[in-house]
Amino acid sequence: MSNPYQPIPATILETHDETPNIRTFKLKPEREIPFLAGQFVELTVPGYGEAPFTPSSSHFKRDTFDMTIMKVGRATSALFDLKPGDRVGARGPFGQRYPLEKFEGKDIYIVGGGVGLAPLRALFLALVHEIGKYQRIFLRYGARTPADIVYKHLLPEWQKIPKVDIDLSVDVSDEKWMKKVGVVTCLMDEIPCDEKSSIAVVCGPPIMMKFVNQKLLDAGFQGGDIYLSMETNMSCGVGQCRHCRLGPYLTCKDGPVLTWDQIKDLENPFV
Amino acid sequence: MGTYLLPKSSIHLWLSKLLSRYAVFVPIEVEKQIHWHLLEPKDLETEPDSITPAQRRIRASEPVKSFMFEPRQQVASFPDALTFKQPGPRVLLGIKSCDLAALKVHDKILGEGEFKDPFYLAQRKNTLLVVADCPEPEQSCFCNLLGLTPYAAEGGDAALSVVDGNWLLDVNESGKELVDAAPELFTDLREGSSELARRDEQRHAALVSLNLTNARPWNPDLAGAVAAKLDDPAFWNKHAETCVECFGCLMGCPTCYCFLLYDQAKGAGVERTRTWDACYEAAYARVGGGANPRAEFIKRFANRFSCKFSAFKTDHGMYACTGCGRCFKACMGKIDIRKVLGEL
Ligand code: SF4
Ligand code: SF4
Repeated sequence: MSNPYQPIPATILETHDETPNIRTFKLKPEREIPFLAGQFVELTVPGYGEAPFTPSSSHFKRDTFDMTIMKVGRATSALFDLKPGDRVGARGPFGQRYPLEKFEGKDIYIVGGGVGLAPLRALFLALVHEIGKYQRIFLRYGARTPADIVYKHLLPEWQKIPKVDIDLSVDVSDEKWMKKVGVVTCLMDEIPCDEKSSIAVVCGPPIMMKFVNQKLLDAGFQGGDIYLSMETNMSCGVGQCRHCRLGPYLTCKDGPVLTWDQIKDLENPFV
Repeated sequence: MGTYLLPKSSIHLWLSKLLSRYAVFVPIEVEKQIHWHLLEPKDLETEPDSITPAQRRIRASEPVKSFMFEPRQQVASFPDALTFKQPGPRVLLGIKSCDLAALKVHDKILGEGEFKDPFYLAQRKNTLLVVADCPEPEQSCFCNLLGLTPYAAEGGDAALSVVDGNWLLDVNESGKELVDAAPELFTDLREGSSELARRDEQRHAALVSLNLTNARPWNPDLAGAVAAKLDDPAFWNKHAETCVECFGCLMGCPTCYCFLLYDQAKGAGVERTRTWDACYEAAYARVGGGANPRAEFIKRFANRFSCKFSAFKTDHGMYACTGCGRCFKACMGKIDIRKVLGEL
């Protein structure tokens, strides 16, 4: 019987600094981890513990995968000290994927904040890989300052993809910034898709998700069509240890992406 | 499979046969408390009644989960994967009906579903469970309020009753090997035998005593009642007032299954350990970024009840509480779960 707590070694192939405290790691696992967009992987930083991250690369190419990670605590700080060639551990995939079959034929309105664009990138790449299946893809992304934007080098490429529409905002601009200034909801005053039949996907800090979700509901999006990445303390990944409990859900098993309809009755889903 | 009589004079003989095949654990009494003990051959040189477990009144202090879901266990290593050691066969001779029910909770979480715990399952499959009647439930026992009986109604590998010092064994197919260890010592008991009638009387008396201790039935929909109370902090504040957050109630609880995984550097590699965890712990639900959905203790206190009586019932069709009473026996704040549930 397989051991769900046992990580497999994964070699860091290269790293890319997205911002002063966010880095993308390209990893080559010893065996393929068959993730689908939305699912997550538990990453072991040898000697420092484990933390859950959602791959940020396309699930159509899985011999390697990317993880875009912000330096926030002990394990991630130790991870930032590792170099290409070093090994980390990985186990997964865990949780539920985005139900892409439900997205077919529809407009998809993606809203990201800060490092929250990382898991959304896996979704975005899966969507554009089969772009014919979907209507249009809107990406609205907000960061604190222009320097805090992740995937700066990729965004201009993505904008060139037909049927893709991208807009950005920053809370605090600099002299070169030509786009909107304000929190990401300032990009949502006009939503150029049919809200009643479109899909919305949101990932970012809890406070941002709270306001974005409200704005989507006010605009007329259906609660069952708003997909939110819930951040809870996911540890075992397999629905056993109970740390990630969110009302009736275990986010590691039922999530981490849940719809607004699933969580709307919880006391305070965005902590 | 069958019901057998093992005369008092043969009990030690049978146990010695079992010892040659299994590690046998029995409950013994130490300073008026009941604890598990690994039976040794020298224990059998004493009087039959001094070590044999059947007469223990109630469950041991240690939750039976300790045997399958160890308090601290290495579960992985890195970069070389942990090699799995198959444990040897064991018999737990004298678990109680509430212990058996508690294992069902662990079976649901660790033994079923997409991801199974190989460590738990190996120990579970290697362990024969003999469920002994509780002839004298104590004031702390309230299994009856949770739909259990103070004797094995079903499940386990064999049920053990003591009648006039002799042992009665109701053996399931899965427990056949227990009798096969020394078949010559057992005689078949037919339905209607006086021994079985005596056993049924004893069982009935135990139930009557439990029903006297815990006479008032609870809200029949505990799951709904707990869920409805979650946004009433005054209720939980009142009951949590004397809690000192020692986690004793959770560590001793036979159904609590939360755990923590942590890594430690070992030589050039890493060892991953699993330990029991407590949902009362302040950092329990805190995420890497620092946000904590249950930062206030009162939320964690209520969470324990909603987990056991609401979420588990909804997800698995049973309460994650067996009425064993360990939690309030351990509680220095004297918080009695029966009182909390009784007020719902
Ligand atoms: S709670 Fe019931 S089954 Fe458990 S020891 Fe007490 S009487 Fe026996
Ligand atoms: S909550 Fe208390 S009475 Fe219920 S199973 Fe746990 S320790 Fe026993």
